[in-house]
Amino acid sequence: MPEEAIAPLRILPSALAETCGDLPFVAIVRNREELFRWLGGPFPGLRWLQVEGMLGDSEAWAEAAHDKSHIPFDVVLSDPASEFSDLYRLVDASAERDIRVTMPAGPGLSKAVRLASALGFPVRVLPGQPMTGALSELREILEFYLHEPMVEAPIEFLHSFLASMEGGYTGSLWVILEEDPDTFHRCDANGRAWVPRSCDSSYVESVSPGFVEKRLKSLIAQGGECASCPWQQPCRGYFKWPDPTYSCEGIKELFSSIQTAGNEIRKELASFAAAEAGIISDPDEGGKR
Amino acid sequence: MSERVFSVILLPTSDCNVACDYCFEHKEPHRLSLVLLPLLTRRLLDHLENEQIEECEIYWQGGEAMIMGPAWFEKAGEMMNRAAAERGRRFVHYLQTNLIGYSPAWNGVIHKMFSGSVGTSMDYPNLHRKLFKGGAAAYTELWTRRLREAKAAGIAIGVIAVLHRASLEAGPERFYRYFTEELGLTDFQVNTPFPGGPAKEVEGGFQLDSSSLAEFMVGLFDLWITEGYSSGVSVGPFDALIDHFTGEQARLPCIWKENCSNQFISVDAKGTVAQCDCWVTSYPEYFFGNVFRESDLTRMLKTSRARRDFVERPKHLVEDEDCLSCRYLSICHGGCPVRTYSALGTMMAKDPYCEVYKAVFACAEAHAGEILRARAAPVISLRLAHEAGVSATG
Repeated sequence: MPEEAIAPLRILPSALAETCGDLPFVAIVRNREELFRWLGGPFPGLRWLQVEGMLGDSEAWAEAAHDKSHIPFDVVLSDPASEFSDLYRLVDASAERDIRVTMPAGPGLSKAVRLASALGFPVRVLPGQPMTGALSELREILEFYLHEPMVEAPIEFLHSFLASMEGGYTGSLWVILEEDPDTFHRCDANGRAWVPRSCDSSYVESVSPGFVEKRLKSLIAQGGECASCPWQQPCRGYFKWPDPTYSCEGIKELFSSIQTAGNEIRKELASFAAAEAGIISDPDEGGKR
Repeated sequence: MSERVFSVILLPTSDCNVACDYCFEHKEPHRLSLVLLPLLTRRLLDHLENEQIEECEIYWQGGEAMIMGPAWFEKAGEMMNRAAAERGRRFVHYLQTNLIGYSPAWNGVIHKMFSGSVGTSMDYPNLHRKLFKGGAAAYTELWTRRLREAKAAGIAIGVIAVLHRASLEAGPERFYRYFTEELGLTDFQVNTPFPGGPAKEVEGGFQLDSSSLAEFMVGLFDLWITEGYSSGVSVGPFDALIDHFTGEQARLPCIWKENCSNQFISVDAKGTVAQCDCWVTSYPEYFFGNVFRESDLTRMLKTSRARRDFVERPKHLVEDEDCLSCRYLSICHGGCPVRTYSALGTMMAKDPYCEVYKAVFACAEAHAGEILRARAAPVISLRLAHEAGVSATG
């Protein structure tokens, strides 16, 4: 029996999303009218709302705090440096629903991540192809994520990447960041499928099944960095998109830091497990081993 | 229906039967009449309905709430609860009183309306809580007698203690023993003082040096962990902080909420609505409105310009203060607006007790770490003991 194919999750602008019916989808909303239209449901296929460009609208958030639909929000910050403090506006709305915060790696990232974490929001950081400044922000949030005991909610992609090193999660960065077109089917306002980060029209490509694997194969065939990269398995060429000539040096350092942390965690867990095993087994017998 | 709980600090009177030095309230003789109470109840229930909130906590305080008399409370409680039940809502009542007016006549209503418990206040040493005649010593003597009578009647008592200079001079040990041994209490809470209300010399004198206060709080925390934590003594806010840092559900005090503005309001006998009792009794410039004159409490809260400052305050703090880089931001959010306002004349700054809070948070974090390690300790210590035995015989 062939395995039943899992339908991709469609992520599309509000107007297009209305045609989705019972199929699973995410609606992108950019103004109050769109937001409250979806909150007025029910819409059986709606998985969450991707809320863009609305963080500054305090009245919209005050309204959203009264909504009891429990539809989760993924609130997207386009400029963390100027928007981070507006995250406080989400507090009341979060009493009624799950809220995740998504933001690009760039100026203000560490501020926004710190505040989102303090408010208990899970975070999805979209690293893109980070240059020096963004890499520095990423290193800062990695340090924060790894060593700050107050962090309770996951900070992606760091969280799943660390878990993948412990065998806890085997999906690639493309999946972790919800950018794999096989799993997350994004459409533009005209209904055309597109791959995230290819917003420049010159990058718009027809999205064929197996996009990530085909592209990785091509990168390896060209003898690029991916061919010998120790992080090829979890990364799958994520950082070589859209510009295949992007240098992954800074990213590899970041991955290396995550791996070091993973090794330390593994060592401590093993030590604890050994201590527990010593109690459970017969002490005399254990002592003679 | 939302699981959110909305709280109202309800002042049925601003009148009081004692004369404490540091009281920040305007003592006015107004009393909430049973004629107006149904209107107030309707406004509250409308708001709960608008917000789809099922339960509303009513914290009755004053002034001195017991001035209203037990019969008044009995009627008020019955009327409010009946009105709530008719609309599928629920009021849960709490009473904060100085206990000076307590008598056995209160026992029925305390057990019925307040689930057999009341909150009261006492300091150690008591220098500033005074009767109109007889001063602080007479107050302490009378309050202690009332406390014992109430306890004998099966009433559970929680006590709030406000620290002052003499408390710090006495030190944490004498302070702790007064409440736990001399009074036999198992539940008390320590509040930091603030010079609320119109400036008065004596109120200004209640501001304490942060490092001395921090030292006292940490000393008290340490003592409670050693002697009280495992033996059923609850000391706020330390107990909530330990819950938080050990990963348990914690109800932290309002001063550390990310935004207190949507969690409670205060209403006085005249219907004035403000953020909390401190604001409603002291700062007219921050009144939200009047619940008897405005028909829609929800709209009042939504549109009040004064309230907007409360909503926007945390945003300002992470932009302009050093709160964002603080490791305790998630449990503090810049502290209490009224403590800030009363000390600095603006709420758009962090709480002046920032350094005290940090010391207490660090202390809580360290103790919680020890508690968590102790929970895992049987495994580790047995293993170590076993290894020591092996090497000794090996």
